Amino acid sequence: MSLLQPDPQAPSVWRDNLPVTSRYTYGLAGERFFRILKDEGKIIGSICAACGATYVPARAFCERCMAELTEWTDVGLVGELHTFTVLFVDMEGRPLDEPELVGFVRFGDGGILHKLDADPDDLQIGMKMEAVLKPKAERIGAITDILGFRPVT
Amino acid sequence: MNERVAIVGVGWAGFRPKTPDLSYKEMIYQAAVRAYHDAKVDPRTDVDSFVTVAEDFHEGTSIADEYTPDQLGAVMKPMQTITGDGLHGLATAVMLVRTGLCRIVVVEGHSKASNILTLDSITAYAQDPVLNRPLRLNTHMVAGLEMNRYLHESGTDEEACAAVVVKNRRNALRNPLTSFGADLTLDEVLAGPPLAWPLGVHQTARPVDGAVVMVLANEQVARSLTDRPIWIAGIGWCNDTPSLESRSWATLPYLEQAAHMAYRQAGIRTPFEEIDFAEIDDTYAYKELQSIEALGLCGFGEAGALLKEGVFDLDGAFPVNASGGSLGAGHLLDATGLHRALEAVLQLRGEAGAHQLEDVQVALVQSWRGVPTTSGAVAVLTN
Repeated sequence: MSLLQPDPQAPSVWRDNLPVTSRYTYGLAGERFFRILKDEGKIIGSICAACGATYVPARAFCERCMAELTEWTDVGLVGELHTFTVLFVDMEGRPLDEPELVGFVRFGDGGILHKLDADPDDLQIGMKMEAVLKPKAERIGAITDILGFRPVT
Repeated sequence: MNERVAIVGVGWAGFRPKTPDLSYKEMIYQAAVRAYHDAKVDPRTDVDSFVTVAEDFHEGTSIADEYTPDQLGAVMKPMQTITGDGLHGLATAVMLVRTGLCRIVVVEGHSKASNILTLDSITAYAQDPVLNRPLRLNTHMVAGLEMNRYLHESGTDEEACAAVVVKNRRNALRNPLTSFGADLTLDEVLAGPPLAWPLGVHQTARPVDGAVVMVLANEQVARSLTDRPIWIAGIGWCNDTPSLESRSWATLPYLEQAAHMAYRQAGIRTPFEEIDFAEIDDTYAYKELQSIEALGLCGFGEAGALLKEGVFDLDGAFPVNASGGSLGAGHLLDATGLHRALEAVLQLRGEAGAHQLEDVQVALVQSWRGVPTTSGAVAVLTN
């Protein structure tokens, strides 16, 4: 069906793009999480006194009961591999030369999503994984201060 | 309050991988003219309000909702845009009718995916900017992570996921509104290129272009317009947390909630017994199995085995995605929920053609906004 007949000789498209640049405020809990990661090399969570949930990374409020979270906890650098995947395309959808291993490592009731440094054949859901941090001098207070996770040996 | 709302007209344009001849407005215009003809209404005089679903980054236009009235006949009329899936738009239209504010409401969704030159980058821009996006990972990783955990917890195997692809693309061979009909074997699907292991390229729906327009009316108007109204007996929607860090990776609790909401309105207690067929999410093959379970059609971990037994086949006890689904037709981005509702309407009217199901009275329609979202919407339609 075509209610409108196209002319095959006509110019067909106009191209345009929009450079979008934003900054994202870490907020009170985020600033604390990233400062402690940068300065002390620790992963911290926040505990909801009302419902008992431990949020990792730390946040300022509980999404379950809406309580304000003011209790912070060091959850260590070792978590449990909850799930993982092997990515064969990059962020823009182009094929990767080297596939990327990505996992979600459980800490408390939350966790950290990050790259994994491992042989995929060695990975098992439920295994212990340890965060590998950048050297202190190179850390800037960002999720990339963590290089990734590797199996605990 | 007007209790019953019916779909009294449907129209569509597409669905195909590319639409180089038509602008998105012309594509919507085609679908709208078809829907108004089907409903026997004049949008300029009969329609009280219009709803579209659109997402600015997909449109390539800021404040894209400003560009929606003209192609629908909605200039100088009440008009609103929902940033959600087509079923969220349908729910909004239902509410406008049920308040009594409007007698006739039009809902529209479309995809001009072929004009989006950086779709993966746009989807990546939906990741949490502080916790996830700095890792510069393709967003299909969310599906890979979810599929792996779902298989682990439910005991479902990769063959069951491949069987979804075989079923849906085979069903698509009977449906002219599809682009990816194929007669594949399980081995061909499993041997396909990987995308986000255990997820493969063949288990991932490809985006296509198209537009869907529906005309809704209250009961009195519906009965005056048509002798075959399709009733929206229930409609529900729900979101889980957006956080990748605190969501469930194996189950879809938000979809369970959305289904409860829709079933409650429709008075459905045992969906597998009381519903005849379903058009549901298969953006990724495993999602069909996960969604079947969340919709309460079977227990957790049972969908894969039932699918392999043929229960969800075209001639099975409970056909799922008889249309070919998104794996067979392609994925219509924000219009996907309306695409599924359209296929359900055609079935309930007995107009589905070569994939028509026999004696169907109750349809289940469900949609998801795709990675990285946790957004579910469910509708129950009856004839």
